[in-house]
Amino acid sequence: MKRVLLMAGRLLARWETLLVIAIIGVGIWSTTLSPFFLLRANLLDLLTPYAFIGLMAFGLAFVVIAGEIDISVASILAVSVVCFSQLYDKGLNVWLALVAGLVVATMLGCINGVLVGIFDLPSLAITLGTLAAYQGLAYVILPGEGVAAFPEGVTKFGGGYVDNELPIALLVLVAFAIALGFVLHATRFGRYLYTIGSNREAARFAGIPVARVRVTVFAISGFMAGVAGIVYLGYFGSARADAAQGSLLDVVTAVVLGGIDIFGGSGSMLGVFLALVLVAELRNGMQLANIAGDTQNIVIGVLLLTAIVVGNVTRAIQARGLPSGLRRKGVIATATVTAGLGTEPEPQELKGR
Amino acid sequence: MTAENLAAAAFRLREVGVLAALGVAVLFFTVRATNFLTVDNWQDIAKDVAIVVVVGIGETMVILTRNIDLSVASIVGLSAFVTADTLAAHNGAPLVLVALLAMGVGVLLGLVNGLLVTVGRVPAIIATLATLAIYRGLAFQVTNGEAISAFRLPDSFLNIAASKPAGVPTLAWIALGVALVGAAILRWAPWARDFYAIGSNPDAARVAGIHTGRRIVMAFAMCGALSGLGGFMWASRYPTVDAVSATDFELDVITAVVIGGVNVFGGSGSVLGVVLGAVLVATIQNGFTLLHLSEFWKLFFNGFAIVVAVAINALVTHRVQDALRRRRRAQVLAARHIEAEV
Repeated sequence: MKRVLLMAGRLLARWETLLVIAIIGVGIWSTTLSPFFLLRANLLDLLTPYAFIGLMAFGLAFVVIAGEIDISVASILAVSVVCFSQLYDKGLNVWLALVAGLVVATMLGCINGVLVGIFDLPSLAITLGTLAAYQGLAYVILPGEGVAAFPEGVTKFGGGYVDNELPIALLVLVAFAIALGFVLHATRFGRYLYTIGSNREAARFAGIPVARVRVTVFAISGFMAGVAGIVYLGYFGSARADAAQGSLLDVVTAVVLGGIDIFGGSGSMLGVFLALVLVAELRNGMQLANIAGDTQNIVIGVLLLTAIVVGNVTRAIQARGLPSGLRRKGVIATATVTAGLGTEPEPQELKGR
Repeated sequence: MTAENLAAAAFRLREVGVLAALGVAVLFFTVRATNFLTVDNWQDIAKDVAIVVVVGIGETMVILTRNIDLSVASIVGLSAFVTADTLAAHNGAPLVLVALLAMGVGVLLGLVNGLLVTVGRVPAIIATLATLAIYRGLAFQVTNGEAISAFRLPDSFLNIAASKPAGVPTLAWIALGVALVGAAILRWAPWARDFYAIGSNPDAARVAGIHTGRRIVMAFAMCGALSGLGGFMWASRYPTVDAVSATDFELDVITAVVIGGVNVFGGSGSVLGVVLGAVLVATIQNGFTLLHLSEFWKLFFNGFAIVVAVAINALVTHRVQDALRRRRRAQVLAARHIEAEV
């Protein structure tokens, strides 16, 4: 009996497996709602409206793995988009304006990074502050009505198709997933992130340039928000100061549901991508079922909470099932959380076994 | 000066700093903006401050325990609608009961937050980011797209915002009462002192026998209750209440709390600081309006103020800790010296 439980626990512990099962489940539900769901055009276009969310989530994943949080990404996107549109409106070459937008986004990310990485301030409070500050900045740069009518060369990144069928936004998304996945999983920099996220103090003693890596992580997050801005611009066709407002929930859900440990130190790019597919599929399905946007938010919010609670339980199972050397992770997880109503396993109990 | 005195002086310095900033702001706007130093304008500021103070004290309790509640604005919005809806349907309902109902709604939502953080072990920022969206979604379900205008509400209720006994708006009297009770609780109630202990060192608090989980749930419930009361006040202050009422209000609250010197790492902060922080924020925003600055500079200012306040706070904390450590080392060395001589 105990062995069976153990095996089940380990299988469940593969987070990506669970996500794939969920994606298939929601797919079946969507098919019952509408016969059009399974059409190739619909399936290919499923991710297009959520591509900008995915791009922000990829950037945020780096930050969360390094043990921090960046809730200012949507505001960075807004500033980057309005900067681009204002520069283009003033007659700057469109590609130069695009690069300028990316530079602005990266710089805003760097400001977060310097405040957190070098001045050692809490990322939660700092990015909450810059969330408001950057959003205000976006409104100041472009008050009132939005700017539309951009050349097709730019809008194709968000709204264009190859052969009238394959969305370019999907290609951009997959390309960045692969590139960032490579950086995260196959480079020294990527490994640094996991080390810093697991134990910053130990990382410092191991000679990792902790401050520099943490600044870089926020810069990546800012840069990705800029890239997301380009795709956003292409998909919606207009730049407004309130661009992407309200998308933070989806971005954080994609990251956390993707199995990235919110306390840092573990998670994979594949997971984030699968979680994005799940969120997109779920929203698509709810639209087919005529469920209003704000009710959809309830579902997504509950999904986010469930993901973490289930993740905590899975981790507890994992901690009990694995040999003593790896149990430490479970102890660390319980220690980082400030509270519990006596439901978490006592550290002594773990040691005794 | 003992170590305790040094720390206390540093924390008092924060309140003095906010007071000084407030003086500078008042001076600046008095010179630059006509109408700033009028009774009418200050009554307006007092009304704005009142709701921020009430919700801010609740937020302070949560932040003291090293957590955060981003969902307060959604709780304010939802309970404001419940208040307005109840009063529109039953014009003669006793206001105290309606206020208790609004607080009850708040407690319930706060409990959900608290249980998610403690039993579910979801980090507070993620849990309340999710409930921010969930409660707002619930507001849309409850309101069904409807808005309740002031003319459907009884005069006695609207009077809470309009009347000014002794020249001070009733809303501000309510806030003053909440602030006094809140300050007394945070100063003397054992369970509220636990908030400080938990925020200073969660592990030590647990080892010391404090039921950390229960206390954190309590902090979130108190925050919910005060947000509910804030919603009640919101419904009387603003003419129409609908599903998007008080959106983004959490930024005002958190700005006031953080500027007021409440440490985002938990463990320190006072009601007096929160009140001063709320007055400072409201004064500056009011001045912006009188100077005809864009609404959006306020948002920028809010965010900028959070960053600056957090940075200053961290700096002060570092300095105090360093000073305490040096003093301790000197004491130990002196003690050894005496021992050696004996």
